[in-house]
Amino acid sequence: MIFKGNQVTQDLVLKPDVCIVGSGPGGSMAASRLSAQGAKVVVLEEGGYHQKDEFDMQEATAFPRLYQDRGNRATADLSIAVLQGRAVGGGTVVNWTTSYRTPDDVINRWRDEGSILTPALLKPHFDEVEQRLGIQKVDYDDTNANNRSLYDGCKKLGWQVDTTRRNVRGCLRTGYCGMGCPVDAKQSAALTYLPDAIAKGADLYADCRVTRIDWNGKRAQAVIGVVLDPASGQYTGRTIRVEPKVIVVSGGALNSPALLLRSGIRQGPVGEKTWLHPVVAVGAMYKSRIEGFYGAPQSVASHHFAHRDPGAGFFMEVAPTHPMITGIAMPGFGAPLRSRMALLPHLASCISLMIDGFHGDQGGTVSLRPDGGPRLDYPFNEVHYECFREGMKAMARAHLANGAESITTFHATPLVLTKESDLAQIDHAPLGPNLFAAFTAHQMGGCRMGSDPKTSVVNPQLRHHSLENLFVADGSVFPTSLGVNPMESIYGISSWAAQHIHAALS
Amino acid sequence: MTSRRGLLKKTLGGAVLLAAAGAVPLALRKTRLRALAPGRALLFFTPAEYSVWAAVADRILDRNATYITQEHNDGPPLPAAVLVEAAEKRKTAPTPVAIDLTGKADAFLAPLDAASAKDLKQLLALFDSALFSLVTGGPPRPFTQQEPAEQDAQLKAWQTSRLAIRRTGYQAMKRLCCAIYYGSPETYASIGYPGPPYDLVKSVMK
Repeated sequence: MIFKGNQVTQDLVLKPDVCIVGSGPGGSMAASRLSAQGAKVVVLEEGGYHQKDEFDMQEATAFPRLYQDRGNRATADLSIAVLQGRAVGGGTVVNWTTSYRTPDDVINRWRDEGSILTPALLKPHFDEVEQRLGIQKVDYDDTNANNRSLYDGCKKLGWQVDTTRRNVRGCLRTGYCGMGCPVDAKQSAALTYLPDAIAKGADLYADCRVTRIDWNGKRAQAVIGVVLDPASGQYTGRTIRVEPKVIVVSGGALNSPALLLRSGIRQGPVGEKTWLHPVVAVGAMYKSRIEGFYGAPQSVASHHFAHRDPGAGFFMEVAPTHPMITGIAMPGFGAPLRSRMALLPHLASCISLMIDGFHGDQGGTVSLRPDGGPRLDYPFNEVHYECFREGMKAMARAHLANGAESITTFHATPLVLTKESDLAQIDHAPLGPNLFAAFTAHQMGGCRMGSDPKTSVVNPQLRHHSLENLFVADGSVFPTSLGVNPMESIYGISSWAAQHIHAALS
Repeated sequence: MTSRRGLLKKTLGGAVLLAAAGAVPLALRKTRLRALAPGRALLFFTPAEYSVWAAVADRILDRNATYITQEHNDGPPLPAAVLVEAAEKRKTAPTPVAIDLTGKADAFLAPLDAASAKDLKQLLALFDSALFSLVTGGPPRPFTQQEPAEQDAQLKAWQTSRLAIRRTGYQAMKRLCCAIYYGSPETYASIGYPGPPYDLVKSVMK
């Protein structure tokens, strides 16, 4: 069953086989697999349980309700805005449906860290995930003008580009994936693996913020959560204490390391090497109406620059242009801001995602805020700036090739570029924290897997190096970023890890 | 709004300036107070903080350019018809006051954790400090007492400051102002956004 916070009217002590913290792709998959093998599973989720009738396609409703820190999560200096889901189903409720397997070269690279994963080991798991979630490649004719502008521009330049694969069934292409699918077309965890688990006897407690894990010696003993009121988000005074045989931490790449830190489980580099696929964007203005707020929000990607050497690789995708997120990102204030926003229907939005973790870059660090939540620091260096500049230039080239009237960068003082010779201005525009707009929608690392307890938090089977009945199953175990959108990788690796988690029950 | 811990601790002399502000006449220059929207009771801001935020929102979302913003008005070249259409829509844009932006900000910020709330309140105090304005090259008046062009100059100075912490402060205010403003359906028409496709969704839900 699923219990909301207001249904928990007394303090609870539960003693299942497995307690899973978090219900995103990692936690939902673990819950499904372990329940199917007969284990009694309890899932604790801090976010609320929301269904399609509540998804009103308004950003002002969706972001406070469905995102971490009510849509305001960011690095400590605000230089990177962090889009991260918070709901039953986690990020799968609000992501833009882009579904990729982990690239083979990334899986193989992780073996340098002691990972035992191989493409062949993961293949059956990805096969099953794709079948369960209805993952299929998008037809070009089903892309919107926002995405087609990147596709067509890349084609004209002879660059690699393709449509993406999406986890949808019966998609209306409304464009509102990021606010919760109003027609249940998106096959989120809340519609797939979590119901699968519940059908096999799992219980899920929404609105339950896990404050700590109690442990002693080599064993984790209990998970302690406080219950939140679904309407106000405030603590109700009720607690849930779970005393399972095995604990699976699946809170995502920022919350999982923060939970370990709050619990004093500090063995290894907890919170270190956090990867974000840092995003920079440009806006392309077209004569024609683009209406990037409608249509499948992300259906085209170019990995043409994914394997640059020297320099960190990046890939290019598309972001929807709904008013609130565009207004937040759009540089400047006053009349110039208003002028750019007034042209919203003509705006195509292109994003470049840096593939971090492969060029000696150290990524970010998760530590604890005074309130116990995750504090994220992610310092930029010249590896980032070089990649950001090249990403901006590539995006500008693609759109100019496609006939855009102008390109606007998201520097504090934006550049307006209309021709190839203008692109050199990008090399001279100042870059630094909060001197340009940067985002992340892909958080990875922080509880990295590996064979060496000094350089990793969990072992190659995702079991904690020190606590024998504690596992981590989410994107935090990735030793590097991926170079592709992470949802399917998290599902697949959690599916693979479930056998090891189950073995620990005995 | 959760990430400005130690904002003033990191600000160049920020704490010292605030302490000193109590001993100099400049500190006596008070925030120009604004009236609350009818029926609105404050949950997070003090009346002074409410007034600072309202003054900031007015400039962030002003419809007309001052010379400060005009010189950066690098609007994208597009066919005249498109620009005319956009300009006409812009005229219909509601003011921040009309959508009770600061009241909505107050409600949004109410659940903020204590440390972040303290940081944000310190930011607003510093931003409206006549003394801090003076020592950073601005007029010797609180932000709320400045002329629009002076206010734009202060915002621009914070936006592009060499001090990273001032840029953080600017972003904290700018982002939430824009999030509330452009997240309000009353503003959609002014930017040519038709709103969510409710009819399409209803057509399949029947």
